Amino acid sequence: MAKQNPSEQLDLIVDVIRGGRGTAPRSGDKKLAALAEVASNLRDLPRADFRARLRSGLERRTTMATSAKAAPEVRATATPYLSVRGAAEAIEFYKRAFGATEVTRLVQPDGRIGHAEINIDGAKIMLADEFPEIGFSSPESLGGSPVHIHLDVSDVDALARRAVAAGATVVRPVEDQFYGDRSGQFRDPFGYTWAISTHKETLTTEEMQHRIDEMSRKQSDAAAPESRKYIREGFRSITPYLVIPKAAELIDFMKTAFGAEEHFRIARPGGDVIMHAEVKIGDSMIELAEANSQFPPTPAAMVLHVSDVDTVYSRAVEAGATPFQPVADHDYGSRGGTVKDISGNSWHISKPASGNSIFEGFRSVTPYLNPLRAPVMIEFLQKAFGAEEVYRAQSPDGVVHHAQVRIGDSLIGMGDAHGPYLPMPCTLHLYVPDANATYERALRAGATSIQPVADQPYGDRSGGVTDPFGNRWFIATHIQNAPAAG
Amino acid sequence: MKALKKGPDERLLIEAAQKAPARFAELYDGNFERVYAYVARRVQNRSDAEDLTAEVFHQALAKIAQFEWRGVPFSAWLYRIAANAIAARWQRAARERGSPVADDPPDSRARVNPEEVERTAQLFRLVKTLPDDQRRVIEMRFAEEKSTHEIARELHRTDGSIKQLQFRALTNLRAQFRTKAKKKASAKPSRKSGGRNG
Repeated sequence: MAKQNPSEQLDLIVDVIRGGRGTAPRSGDKKLAALAEVASNLRDLPRADFRARLRSGLERRTTMATSAKAAPEVRATATPYLSVRGAAEAIEFYKRAFGATEVTRLVQPDGRIGHAEINIDGAKIMLADEFPEIGFSSPESLGGSPVHIHLDVSDVDALARRAVAAGATVVRPVEDQFYGDRSGQFRDPFGYTWAISTHKETLTTEEMQHRIDEMSRKQSDAAAPESRKYIREGFRSITPYLVIPKAAELIDFMKTAFGAEEHFRIARPGGDVIMHAEVKIGDSMIELAEANSQFPPTPAAMVLHVSDVDTVYSRAVEAGATPFQPVADHDYGSRGGTVKDISGNSWHISKPASGNSIFEGFRSVTPYLNPLRAPVMIEFLQKAFGAEEVYRAQSPDGVVHHAQVRIGDSLIGMGDAHGPYLPMPCTLHLYVPDANATYERALRAGATSIQPVADQPYGDRSGGVTDPFGNRWFIATHIQNAPAAG
Repeated sequence: MKALKKGPDERLLIEAAQKAPARFAELYDGNFERVYAYVARRVQNRSDAEDLTAEVFHQALAKIAQFEWRGVPFSAWLYRIAANAIAARWQRAARERGSPVADDPPDSRARVNPEEVERTAQLFRLVKTLPDDQRRVIEMRFAEEKSTHEIARELHRTDGSIKQLQFRALTNLRAQFRTKAKKKASAKPSRKSGGRNG
């Protein structure tokens, strides 16, 4: 074999190494042998482009992982984009009315503003002239805008004054809103409505809902004032009248446990024995009086609606009530528990599950009766007081588990007596349009008289009966507002 | 493994990658040659080596959060992932062949020597430090498996000059390789390395 130069020889060796998977061929030359060893180690040399491709593949994945992780930190923004007829005028108006600053303005060859951005105290608003040819139409073309712009500012009153001075019209004046803001609505000359608002009071959704409910009740109460004249102001058709021992202590208990407000109290002269008192829990009035020999105790069972059952239950127990049935979720759609207070009243503290509770329509306090046979009592209430049965859950054996009747504007709940829930005859104060007529009807339906109807010094005309089940009813018609009750 | 640069640096890199996956690239850069060398020794062809190397790094990236530092080099963890991936591939291949019992991979008994893998990886890294024309020839000749003649045509050179570049490149690699090996073998700084031939 002809003598080759070392690079030729090495190249042949490399061919052999690359071709076979074996070791480097032997070579007499020590240096060539060493280079062959290096070459055989390079047999598996990775391709540079593979290394780079894999690296970028991994990077794509890590970027995706990183951006997915970082996503929650990215705050999405929604920016109103206003189409206006006369964008240039609108920008000037927003400057005067809201103290806006102009950020961007791009003008089309035809002079129309194709895009503009303004800033109102940090809030970004985009706007442009209308381009009806591409469906970008202004409120003036469309006859109004269904979208309001809610603008949160530090001083709603000041900004409202400024906006009106600049030419905005008042849609709703600035006032405190039930949801904790002070706000008003204003329409700008370009057809957009701005709800300008300053946050005043932080409320939970539940509290806001409660306020809405309150408002709609007040509105419906106010809706028919003429027809409600027979009911003393602040009362409804039915009010529980707790004739009980320890009336004064009970008032304190209701204040502590249920947040009751005392509205009225008259004590026996020379003592603190309560002859008559009125307290309000939530939206419901409760009357009470110390029991005596003429009027023996008639503690009542009531359903108390609260938003936080567990808290109120523990507060009641801390305030001295006896646990009767611990708080639990009930299959009839509410979470509730029962306590007995120091005067013997039973309170079923409950939070209705929205929608399908059996206590639907109940006020803060609703009387609950456990007669031996509910249908018999319902029949009496229909005959005597014109009650309307609105709900009855009855099993095939005839047991009424729950029923509800309405008298006037009030509900009474009831269920056949069972287990620990024994009949508990109570006293109820009933306002009717004609106390005389109702008193007579009640007697005809089987009630017995306690006292005939007569005008009372506190502005009511009233009488009393005991129904066949032992409940006492004070049947009243409000005649006039007494100058001083009592 | 004593020859490897381990310890706090690698630990910091791992922790960084666990916090920010984008930092995984640094671990990849530091370990690619190792994993590739490990895998390539145990499979028959280049495409398997590439598939498995990719699989190892994708798995490592997916599991990086689970890696717990116990003083064991990161590469040991990668080798374990690689060994499992190779075994799984072998069993799958066996099933596809219709063999009811999955054989062991042919070279699984011949354990890969980590020292050898490390030396090979070292060599792969050294290729990147060669002068451009030498590096290009080595990559084309070995990684792209081209003949001297093909390379000459592509680079518009003569066959002889490609062979010369190959010779110089391998000589360089050998010189550096020996120097590095010596440096690592003795704790003391080595004598000046052998001169480059050409």
